[in-house]
Amino acid sequence: MTHQSTATSLSYREALHKAMHDAMAGNPNALLFGQGINDHKGIFGTTTGLADKFGKHRLIEVPLAEEGVTGNCIGAALNGAYPINVHIRSDFVLLAMNQIINLAAKYKYMFGGLFDVPMLVRLVIGRSWGQGAQHSQSLQSLFAHIPGLTVIMPASSGSIVDSYAHAVRKHRGPVISLEHRLMYDLKFEPEHEPVVLGATPFSQRKVSHGSDVTIVSTSIMSLEARRAGEWLASRGISCDIIDLHCVSHIDADVIMKSVARTGKLLVADTSWQPYGVSAEVCRIVAMRDPGVLKAPVVCMGMAAAPCPTAKALEDIYYPNLTTLTDAIATLVRGKKDNGIELPHERSMADVYKKFKGPF
Amino acid sequence: MLTAPNERLKRLIRQTLLIRRIEERVIELYPSDKIQSPVHLSIGQEPVAVGLCEAMTPQDILFTTYRGHAYYIAKGGTLPELMAELYGRSGGVSGGKAGSMHLAAPEVGMMGSSAVVASTIPHGVGAALAAKLRGEKQAVITVFGDGATEEGVYHESLNFAVLHKVPVLFVCENNALAVHTSLAERQAFDTESHAKAYGINTTVIEDGNDLIKIGDVTAKLLASLRAGGGPEWLMIKTYRYKEHVGPGDDFDAGYRKRADMEPWWKSDPLNRYADIVKGMEAEVKAEIDRAVAFAEASAPPAPEQLLTDVE
Ligand SMILES: Cc1ncc(C[n+]2csc(CCOP(=O)(O)OP(=O)(O)O)c2C)c(N)n1
Ligand SMILES: [Mg+2]
Repeated sequence: MTHQSTATSLSYREALHKAMHDAMAGNPNALLFGQGINDHKGIFGTTTGLADKFGKHRLIEVPLAEEGVTGNCIGAALNGAYPINVHIRSDFVLLAMNQIINLAAKYKYMFGGLFDVPMLVRLVIGRSWGQGAQHSQSLQSLFAHIPGLTVIMPASSGSIVDSYAHAVRKHRGPVISLEHRLMYDLKFEPEHEPVVLGATPFSQRKVSHGSDVTIVSTSIMSLEARRAGEWLASRGISCDIIDLHCVSHIDADVIMKSVARTGKLLVADTSWQPYGVSAEVCRIVAMRDPGVLKAPVVCMGMAAAPCPTAKALEDIYYPNLTTLTDAIATLVRGKKDNGIELPHERSMADVYKKFKGPF
Repeated sequence: MLTAPNERLKRLIRQTLLIRRIEERVIELYPSDKIQSPVHLSIGQEPVAVGLCEAMTPQDILFTTYRGHAYYIAKGGTLPELMAELYGRSGGVSGGKAGSMHLAAPEVGMMGSSAVVASTIPHGVGAALAAKLRGEKQAVITVFGDGATEEGVYHESLNFAVLHKVPVLFVCENNALAVHTSLAERQAFDTESHAKAYGINTTVIEDGNDLIKIGDVTAKLLASLRAGGGPEWLMIKTYRYKEHVGPGDDFDAGYRKRADMEPWWKSDPLNRYADIVKGMEAEVKAEIDRAVAFAEASAPPAPEQLLTDVE
């Protein structure tokens, strides 16, 4: 089953604001927790004005106490509220891992189904302008590893609006959403919204149809993949691009069907490769039917190091449009000397170079 | 004191001036995009770092935060390597990998700074435990903001330090703000009485611009640590002139008033001793110029550096 996203033309930031607004308006027991949630910057403009409308008793400015506040959210969820907790960097949620992994993820199962913990944790992935080792981590696989958590990585405005509405209204378990800071200012037109490949907004998405290679991507890498795909389309290479979106619940059939057609697979994730999304997608193919592969899988992600602050190193730390395009062409043509002209821009470099905060 | 008080004051003023002017240079350079790193400036708060570090020997060690330029300089870190680090160049103290938020200079006891709030507080306690174990007459200072006292790890650290009587001085650099949020919006407890509940001695310095007082009080507290008297706790009230992160002013943002700054501006040692400052400007500027020139001439880190020092 597939369906089109309901989104209208919105920037990622506007979509987040709308999702937060709709959550508060649609459920009188929805709560929003965060450090700086009611200040003039309002979590990069995603919560501004909401306290005026819904009250500070529902938009809760919190102390610096990540573990405690996460536990507060769990308690509130157990007693009829729908808490949303936002961290302006995913790195800060590491202080709350005990509550998320030992409690939120297990409360339902451990008590034999007696409880639900419906809540949403918003994490923002930082990148560029010297975010450095502790403000840039992309921690999806840490969460996706844990049974009981649903982990999404919205890569478009429509994905935000639809998935957050689904989380708040329908889903009964804890959802971890990793947003990407560099997408906040990007506008997504409805005709560019990927097609949802499943019954709920948490399903995988098809970014483009193609026959030469399957690209499975996450978050901002889905945007890079689209751009690489467009570049290559006019040069004789056709890419089948799947935006994973929900990294914890991957529909193996979606991936296998595509790879069975193309015979080639490239995984482009925002994080490190070992034990991550790349490894998981490879596991699916290896267990289902490695015989469909006509070439070894190619994976792209962050270099195997913490993120360096220096721009000269950060530039080569992440895959970019050029390296991604080259890797796809090499995989499809079967040789390094693939004869495909590469795009000149370094990546979504226009966006990254312009990015100077606010942090 | 070996030096006459006026010499001492001059030394402290000069260091305060150096930090102020370096950070002002950062502001000046920022639009050129040469410094591509979020900067948390200490402007207005420099006397805290200067006073604390005056009382420390080079063997005493310091843990601090992302708001760390002042500490790096006050503890004796070298300027050219600081500038090159901010520029993300190979000549930087960490070869460009650290940037503004993670300054360190172990050779002078500056043991690192973390961009995750409160995360270096327990390091100070552990380092003090090690100093005690090794029988060193070494003191440890761990500096954190008022916001950091809300984190669980701060409480855990106080408890451990008192239990094990380790030679650590907890310093709360209280600018009454966490980003844009006031103390009253974040804390139901009184920081000092709360610390006292752990059985730790507490001291509060109301005027974080009083260089001499900060230096004297710290010296006394460190002497007590070295004599085996157990941990100490010091709060220094201060005021941040600039925005939380970035080179700008933000008095028009609405979360605080320019008038709040007035008393601090008046007691700011660089204003109080403006005539002494005047005589120091040229030399300080030359020192900063040399550091900037070093940074400008320093090459970006080579690509191979990406995967060095990982393990
Ligand atoms: C664990 C964690 N939570 C949140 C943040 C985001 N953050 C960075 S600085 C800051 C305020 C800290 O205030 P304070 O400790 O008073 O230090 P100050 O910035 O005032 O020097 C916050 C919330 C962070 N870096 N780490
Ligand atoms: Mg503060």
